[in-house]
Order: sequence, then C-alpha cells, then structure tokens
Amino acid sequence: MASTSPATTNGDVAPANYDLVLKLAPHLDRHMIFPLLEFNAGRLKEDETDKAREILAAKYALLKKTNMTDYVANLYCELEGLKEPPAEYAERRQKVFHQLEKYEQETAKITELLQRDDVVNNLRSDKVANLEFLKKEHDVTIDMVNALYDFGQLQYSCGNYADASELLYRFRVLSTDNDKVSYATWGRLACEILTMNWESAMEELQKVRESIDTRLANNPLAQLQHRTELVHWALFPLFNYDKAREPLLDLFFNAGFINTIQANSPWILRYLTVAVITNRGRAKNAGVHQKQMKDVVRIVKQEAYEYQDPITRFVHALCIDFDFEEAQQQLVLAEEVLRSDFFLLAHADDFVDSARHLIFESYCKIHARISLKDLSARLGLNNDDAEKWIVNLIRDTRLDAKIDYKEGTVVMNHPPSSVYQQVIERTKGGFFRTQVLTAAVAR
Amino acid sequence: MSRFFRGGDDSSTDSSSEEEEVYTSEEEEEKVQAEDESSSEEESDEEESDEESSSDEEEGTKKKGASRFLQSDDESEEEEEEQSDDEATTKVKSAKDKRFDELESTISQIQNGQKINDWSLIANEFDKLNRQVVKLQDGSKAPKSYIKAIADLEDFMNETLAKQKVTPKKMNATNARGLNAVKQRIRKNNKEYQTQIDAYRKDADAFMESDDEVAAPKVVSKVRFEAPVVSAEQQEEDDKGFSTVDSRGKVVQYTPESILKHLRAIIESRGKKNTDRLEQIKVMETLNKVVPITPYQKIRVLQTLISARFDLGAGGAAQMPLDQWKAAERDLASLLEILEKEKDHVVVEGAEEWDDDDKLPTIPEGEKYLKVPGSVVSLIERLDDELTRSLQAIDPHTSEYIDRLTDEGSLYNTIFRGLLYYEHLRKDASLEVPQESLNRIIQRRLDHVYYKPAQVVKILEENAWKQVSAEADSEITPRSQSGDAGKLINILSNYLFENSEGIIRARAMLCQIYFLALHDEYYKSRDLMLTSHLQETIANFDIATQILYNRTLVQVGLCAFRKGLVYDAQNTLQEICGSGRQKELLAQGVMIQRYSQVTPEQERLEKQRQLPFHMHINLELLECVYLTCSMLLEIPLLAQTGSSPDVKKRIISKTYRRMLEYHERQIFTGPPENTRDHVMQASKALAAGEWKKATDFIHSIKIWDLMPNTEGIKTMLAKQIQEEGLRTYLFTYAPFYDTLAIATLSSMFELDSRKVSAVVSKMISHEELAAALDQVTETVIFRKGVELSRLQSLALTLSDKASSLIETNERTLEQKTQGSANAFSRKDNRGGGQRGGGQRGGRGGARTGGNPQRQAGGTQFTGGALGNAVRG
Repeated sequence: MASTSPATTNGDVAPANYDLVLKLAPHLDRHMIFPLLEFNAGRLKEDETDKAREILAAKYALLKKTNMTDYVANLYCELEGLKEPPAEYAERRQKVFHQLEKYEQETAKITELLQRDDVVNNLRSDKVANLEFLKKEHDVTIDMVNALYDFGQLQYSCGNYADASELLYRFRVLSTDNDKVSYATWGRLACEILTMNWESAMEELQKVRESIDTRLANNPLAQLQHRTELVHWALFPLFNYDKAREPLLDLFFNAGFINTIQANSPWILRYLTVAVITNRGRAKNAGVHQKQMKDVVRIVKQEAYEYQDPITRFVHALCIDFDFEEAQQQLVLAEEVLRSDFFLLAHADDFVDSARHLIFESYCKIHARISLKDLSARLGLNNDDAEKWIVNLIRDTRLDAKIDYKEGTVVMNHPPSSVYQQVIERTKGGFFRTQVLTAAVAR
Repeated sequence: MSRFFRGGDDSSTDSSSEEEEVYTSEEEEEKVQAEDESSSEEESDEEESDEESSSDEEEGTKKKGASRFLQSDDESEEEEEEQSDDEATTKVKSAKDKRFDELESTISQIQNGQKINDWSLIANEFDKLNRQVVKLQDGSKAPKSYIKAIADLEDFMNETLAKQKVTPKKMNATNARGLNAVKQRIRKNNKEYQTQIDAYRKDADAFMESDDEVAAPKVVSKVRFEAPVVSAEQQEEDDKGFSTVDSRGKVVQYTPESILKHLRAIIESRGKKNTDRLEQIKVMETLNKVVPITPYQKIRVLQTLISARFDLGAGGAAQMPLDQWKAAERDLASLLEILEKEKDHVVVEGAEEWDDDDKLPTIPEGEKYLKVPGSVVSLIERLDDELTRSLQAIDPHTSEYIDRLTDEGSLYNTIFRGLLYYEHLRKDASLEVPQESLNRIIQRRLDHVYYKPAQVVKILEENAWKQVSAEADSEITPRSQSGDAGKLINILSNYLFENSEGIIRARAMLCQIYFLALHDEYYKSRDLMLTSHLQETIANFDIATQILYNRTLVQVGLCAFRKGLVYDAQNTLQEICGSGRQKELLAQGVMIQRYSQVTPEQERLEKQRQLPFHMHINLELLECVYLTCSMLLEIPLLAQTGSSPDVKKRIISKTYRRMLEYHERQIFTGPPENTRDHVMQASKALAAGEWKKATDFIHSIKIWDLMPNTEGIKTMLAKQIQEEGLRTYLFTYAPFYDTLAIATLSSMFELDSRKVSAVVSKMISHEELAAALDQVTETVIFRKGVELSRLQSLALTLSDKASSLIETNERTLEQKTQGSANAFSRKDNRGGGQRGGGQRGGRGGARTGGNPQRQAGGTQFTGGALGNAVRG
C-alpha cells in the first residue's frame, strides 16, 4: 500500500490517509465528535505543534455553540494564549446559570410529582389519559411538560448528560407530541452513549430504530438520513459493549440499514468488516456468522469502486481474488489503520488474530499440502510459534489436517462428500414436508 | 366503396359522403374493441382511413379485430401521444365540429349495439343522441348522419320485433326493457323528422350527397394539399403587379384595419374540408408583410401563420414540406423576438379571446400585460416533431439527411429562446404560467442533448448563447455553466425531477442515465438506474418512454463492457439482446412479422415511433458486445457442466446457445465473414483451449473500431479470454490429469503464476473444481473418485427433481390458500439449511448452490420493458 499512496514519507502518514473523522463528523452530534478529536490529539507526537493547534481550534469551534462555558473559555485561553478568559464568557456563564435556574423552577413541580409514589402509581400506559389525570389532580399544564424537554436540552448542552437523560425520560412519559418524543428519544440515546451507559443506550437505539421504521415509512429520504445517523451513533456501543455486538450486527445487516450504508456512508464498511471478522469466535451461531461474512464480502465487492481502505482491501484480496500475498500485505496495513482509529483501537489485536484465522482457513480449504516454513512466514510468526498455533487451530476447529514433521509440512485431508450422503441430504425433508402438505390440504 | 361496405354493416346502409365512410370504417375496427374512443382521434385518423380502407377489409374483420384487441393497450397509449402531437389541430376545432364528432361516435355506438343485439346500450345511446342533436340542429334540419342513424335504427327495430314474434326465444330482461324503451321513443321521435327520413329512405345516396356544402360553408375550392407546392417567396413574386383576389374573384385590399378580420376568416375556415391551406398561408404572408403595426397584430398574424403551416403536414405520414418548416421556424423565431422586445405583450395559454373585430385591444386598466391567447411551447413542440418526422422519412445515407440534420441546430436555438421566454414569464407570478409548460420545453431541450457526446452539446450550447442578447441569462441553466455538458444535463434533469412527476420525471432520469453511461460513468449511471426503481414500473409507462428505457439499458450495458465488466454487461444487455427483437425494442427499424398480424394502423404507429437515424445505437456493435460477453461466460460454463445429465439447467444466454448449436451443426465452416461468425469461431477455439486463436478471432472483428479506445478494449478482451481460457481448460481436461504444475499452466496461458494460482484457488473455493493445491511442489492435485457414475448422477438428478416437486406443490397450495397456510413458514429455514448442506458437498454442491460468482453480482437489472412480453 505504501507504494500506491503518494507522499508517504514515514509510516505514520499512511494510516492518516484513512482517517475517517471528517467523514464521520457530519453524522455525529457535536458532543460525540469531541472524544474523537481528543483521541486524535492524544496520538500526536511532541513535535507536531501545528497539528495540535489545529485540533485545538477545531475543538473550540466545535464546542463554541454548546453551553459548556467554562470549558470553552479554557479552550479559548489556550488557543489565544491568554491567562484570563474574556468577560463575555463570564457573562454567558451567568446567563446559562439563570436559564438553568429558571427551568429548574418551572419543572420543579412536575419533577416532584413524578417522584411521588401515589402519582406514579396512578399513571397508565395511555399518555393522553395520564396528562388528563395530572391536569385534573395536580394542575399540570402542557407547558410544564414541554419545559422538561427544554430543560433537558439545556442540560445536555451543558454537558450534564445524566440529568438530561433523566429529564428527557420524564418528558417522554408524559408528552403526546410525537415529533418531540422522537427528538427526545434521540436525545436520550446521545446522553446514554456519552455517559457510557450502554445497556439503556441499546434500549434507546431500538426505540429510535422502531420510530424510523414506522413513523418515516412514507418519507424515504428522511428515513435514509435518520438511518445514516443511527448507524454512526451505533458505532459507540458496537465497539465498546460486547453484548451489543450481535443485535447491532443484526441491525446493520437489516436490509434497510445495509442499503443505507451502501448508498450513503460506505466508510461504515470498515467498522462492519472489523466487527464481523472479530466476531468469529464469539458468535453463538456459526451459520449466522458465515452468512454475515458472505454479506460483507458481497458488499465489499459491490462498493469497491466507492470505498476502499486496507481493511476492505484485505477482504477483497482474501475472499474474492484469493490472492494470499496481497491479503497478507493488506493485513499489515490494516493493523496500522486500526491502531489509529478511535473505535477500533481496542480491537486491533483481536482483528489481526481473527484475520489470520480467516487466511489460514481459506488457505487450508484450497491447499492439500503446505510447507510449515512458508506458513509461518505468512502468519508472521516464527516456526515454533506457528506450529503451536496450527496445532491449536487444528484442535479448535477440528480441521482434518496433520503435521508431517519430517517434511516440515501440514497435510490437509479433504474427504470428498459421498454421493449417497448427498442424495440422503436432499431427500431428507421430503417426507416431513409432504406430511405438512397433506395436513394443510386436509384443513 | 361497395366492396368495403360488404365487409361491415349488413343493414343495407349506403352512403358516399366522405364523412360517413370514415366513421364506418372506424366502427368496423371497433367492433371487438367496443370502446368509445375520443372524437379527436377519429378526426386525426380521417386521412388515413381513406387510404387504408382498401385491401385488408376483405380478409374479414374478425381476425383483424382480434389482433387489434390484443394490441389495444399499446394503441390507446400511442394514440394519446398522437393527440398531444396534434394539439394545435385539436385546439382550433370549432365547438360545432366537436359536437359533430360526438354525434358520430354515439351513432357508431348504436350500430355496435345493433350488431350484438344489445338493446340496453342502444337505448342509452339513443337518448344521448337525441340530446346531442338538439344542439346541432339548424332550423328544422337535423344533421344527415342523424337522420340516417334513426332511420336505420327504426328499420332494425322493426326487424327485431318481427323476429321476436316468430321465434319464441326470449330476450333477457334488460334487453327487452331497452327494446321497449326504444320502441316507444323512436315512434314519437321519428315523426318530427318524417320528411327527411322519407327522403333518405327513398334514395339514400342522393340524400347523403345533397347539399353537402351546407356542412362546410366556407369552402373555397376542392384543391387538396396534394396540389403542387410552390415556394412561398416565388408566389409572392408572381403576385406583384396584380391585385390580390380572393376565391370568389373579389379584389381584396389589405389594410391595417381589416387585418384581424381576415385573420378571423382564415381561422374559422381552418380544419374544414376543402380549404386551400397554401392559399391561406399566402394571404397571411402578405398580411404579415404589408401591415402589422401594433405588436398585437403581429403576434396574432404570426401565430396563425405558424399554425397554418403546420396544418400542411397534419395527418397521415406525409411530412411537412421542407420550405414550410423553415418558414415556420423563421416565423417562430420572429415571434419570439417580438415577444422579447414587447415585454407588455405576453402569449399565455388560457387567456381570454379578444373581441378585436372593431377596435384593437389595449392593455386593460390596472394590468401590466396584454394577454394574447396561445401557446408558444406547443408551437415549438410541433416544430420539433415535424423535424423528427421528416428525418424519419429521409434515407439516412443521403446527403439530404445531413442537410436536414443541420436544421436541428436552429431548432435547438428556438427551443432555447423559448425556454428563456418562459423563464421570463414565470418570474411574474400574476401570469400564472403553469409549471407544466416550462417542464415541457425543458424536456424538449433535454431530448436534444442527452444522446450527444459532450463536445457536440458544447457547440450547440455556444451557438444558442450567441444568438441571444448578451445580457440575457437563464435562471435554470446559467450562462456560466453552459460550457460543461455534463453539468447542463444534470441541471436540466434535476430541474425536471424536482418540478414534475410521472412520465416527464422518469424521462428526465433516463436521459441523465443515458448521458452518464455514454460518457463512461458506469457506476454513477448504474446506481441512478437502480435507485430510480424504474425497472419495476416501466411497464406502466407509454411506449416512447419504454423505448427510452431500453435505449438507456443498452447504453449502460455497453458502458459496463467498456469498463471490462463482462458479467454486468451481459446481464444488462440480456433483456434486450436476448429477445432477438433489438430493432423493435430500440425503435430502430420495423421487424418483419412472420404472421402478418399487424394492421396497417399499427404499422403506421410503429413507423411513427422510429427514431431518426442519428439517434441510433449501432446494432451490430451491440450484438458483437453481447455475443462476446456471452461467450466469455458461456464457454467455461459449458465446459463445467460437460456431459452431466442436467446440462440444460443453467443457460445464461439462449440466443448465444442457439447460434452456437447452429454453428456446430454446419459441416463445413469457412473463414468467418461477419461479426457473428467471428465470435462463433472464437468460441470454438476457446472451448478447445486455444485461447490465442480465440483472441485473434475476436481482435479481427472490425466493428471494435467504432468504440472509443479500441486498443484498450482489445487488451481487456485478451485478458479476459486468457482467464476464461484457463478456466475452460481446467474444466475440460481435469478428468485426464492427476496433477498439473502451476508453472505449466502459467506458461500455457501466459499468465503469471500468482494469477494462475489465484484463479485455481477461486475455482476450488467455489467448489467448481475438485482439486487442491500443493504448496510444496506448486502443483494442482485433482481429487480422484469424484467423477460420478451414470447411476449416481441420475440419482442426484432424481433427488433434485423430487425436492423441486415438493416445492412446487407447496407453492401451488400457498397460492391457492393465499399464503394463509402458516405451516409453510418452516419452509424457508429448511431450504436454507439444505442449501448450506449442498454446498458442503463436492461437485454436486456446486450445482445446487448455483455459481456463487453469479449470485455475488447482486446488482441486476431485471424486468426490462417489453422484455416481459417477449418472455411471456
């Protein structure tokens, strides 16, 4: 790869070419972009002050519009080299505090009500009735409910994600305004992601997904945009929360979402590919994993003209062209890219390991005899390690292979499936199906 | 004439008026269709029917009717289109004429009813007829056709009543009720017209012929437009020194005051029979020259003049005379010029007619504009259509065609100016210019550029901008953007996409895709094609759009081929080229029908649809591409399936297979002569593993020169042939080898060993080849014992068939029960599992699982227009 990309003076620039922050950013909330920038800043070396400054400026621009005044003021000082932040920040800070207080008062009553058991117990699943009940019994007006929403928004903007989440939750229980409810759901999702509360984040994600599927069913464009955002947001739980992986992969492979990825944001393919490949050993159902792998290969192939990076090229080389050398090269590059990616950093080793498995698997499938020495070179291990690795592999995957130590080869045994077996396989279901058929006819 | 009638109505009617003849022939055709076609169609068909009504009628109406019925869908769509073409004509038809047409259609309905003895229909139509006739009566005289109809009806009724008495067979209730109603009403009704009916009964012919002139009061002379066409200028010269004389021999003085009166007279005589249109044009040209003072008069004269010129070409296959077209184009340009200059005069559709006989209209109080009724866009459209028509008629291999083609430039300029004018109108919301007019004109502009290479478009654009004033600018297509053809197309089609719907929208998209494909933007065009979802809905569009769709599809396929994507190219072209009706589907020539089911009517429509030659896609090149792609896919497949019993299972291209079989059956094969021979011989060589020979054959096809970047294409093909040759070789000779060294293969096919092992690996991995690689010795080891005995392979086939039988049963039941049988939800899981199982197996697996490479393609265009019809 190093030869194909121009201006590669040192090894560090190549992965930077594959930095996706710019592509991801438009689809993320500004609060979510922040950790990405932070990560990029953290990776910079001492001498790259220009870049550090650039990132700092970006951070400032990013957060300027939020209400995290203190932090913004600090950033500003750092950027301009001032000791004291200018007065306007103090002013803004005051203003924000005022607003907070104001909303606090406005929502005090309803918050208090919702904490009382006798009120909560009277609430039903019917929102209209709930509101009616609260209005009658406790003088709650619709404005108060909406104040909850605004307050939540303000809190979020100030960086108090947990509080914001709580407020939005309350709002959602009471509000009947469908649009606002769906905004609130998005808001909560953001809060939960930012507080790294993955479990409830997954719940919110499901809710958002449902609302996209149902509410926007007749507006394909909005549906596409919302799905794109959701896919981007979902990257956070996908790589940070193990339990989220399977449902999220299911989500990504859902027809609507996979189309969204293909049409609107092919760079997500990188994450999808990594997720699927690293999911290898963990998947409960090997069949599902195989199918997902097949889908990934298909999509990588289809989108090759639009999006390529070492990871997708690795898949392309391995599963489409069967060019093992190329795959090997790409894997090395892919590892670098992974190590410089905010989401994938933690999975780099995992990925490399799984990828090796993948290479070996298809290698064994095709070859009858492999020289151990060659294989170890291919895997990037020394002879003894490679032997150990292979023995483990043979044991784990019940591969039909033997090591011939004298010759220094691995001998694979591919038993041809017998014709009889095939015939039996094919006619196996026939009886049962016919029975079902007769039953159905009889009905 | 009499022969003609024998075929049709047996109720002893006879007439000789042209009018009558027309509707009778019409009605015959409608016998089966039994559909009330709108009156204007009849009008426009009028001229045709005269000629057509001759020979075919003897063949009996039954057969013709049936075929017509089968085609009726297409037909009606087409006719709709025609209607819009002839808009100019329909628009000016007087209200009275329209009523006459209505009357006639009602009468033909009654006659239909008589034929099938449907009295309830007759009763209804009879009522309608009586209502209509009230409006048409002048004095006590009813229209003759009406008299004829009621007289006939009475006869027929009496006959039926008589029959009723003789045969006791009862009519059904509704019919009987209808009969009674008619009986009562007709007696009363016919008394009123007794004298006329008597006259008719006495001598039908004479009656119909007598005072024919009453219907068309302004007949000038009997000369029809077959009269020698003398160029207008010349005539004017002739006129010098003579005072102008009208048809009645009176001297006519043209003065500014009388100008509008003259115009009115001309407009009124329009569309009537026996008007000398040339004469009128001459009059108007003089008018235009001599007098117009106010812009209003100028506009009116020009409008009428242009429409009158179009009338010359109206109806029939006869296209407009060349000089008239040019004159019309000039007039239209000057009309636009006037409109550009006189900003307070606007021509809008749906404006009130001015009563301008006495005094000139002035701009009303409180309004900015003087609105003149009319439609610039219709005139422009008509001009465009006429050019296309004449291009259709000219032999494309003559210099005449090229001469004519140069007119397209000036036409494009006119369209462009029209567009500017409409943009100007749209700026003022008070005028309420419909979006549709703007859409129409943009569509025309797009139609003229989408199939042209960028350079040509650029020249067109430059010329168009040159002729408008320097400060003029277009909002939709700004001057600054005009240099880039791609951008222009993009802007135009996006504009249409946003501002229109239905057919125009679809067409806009197709035009854009076509242009992209033409300029090698394969992925963009493919993605657009797929996102448009047109392949699902295209069958509902009109035929012209379907043709455009087919053209676009072909262009996308060719683009894929140029990119070296053989599989995609074959897949895309399959729909059109596999049908064997490319000519028809692309509207580039009429197919010779084996069984002459085509009525002259259809043939005429078909001819009208044909694209002018300069828009054609080279069919030979298309065939060549398609066959080459098919070869590259089919030959390895043939080698793979070999002699196993289910050879017939997967066929990629039927057309190709048929050709190959035919070729193989030949006892002596000479050196290849045409493209097809070349490809066939190349296929044979490829199948035998002689890839070099195959490459030579393919490279010696001359038509590749028509493709841009010929060398690139040839290298690409050579590479593909090498690979496919290797695959074919492996498939064919695997049974005879134990091992094969990669190095040998690599030298044999001149591919580097890495590529060879990649190809082999791919085949092994897809379970197409029962083999494994030995890394140590760099050889391919073929597995033994995978060759099935005959019994074994038959057993496999049997089991396949058994499971497909079960599947079919299930599907049938599901259809019967409308999918309510939930028991079958299990089926999918089962099928999936089975497929997985099948793939684990060796060679058999490959067969059940299908070629994975093919499945992986994913993006397939299916359901091409008309393609379904072909398959069905």
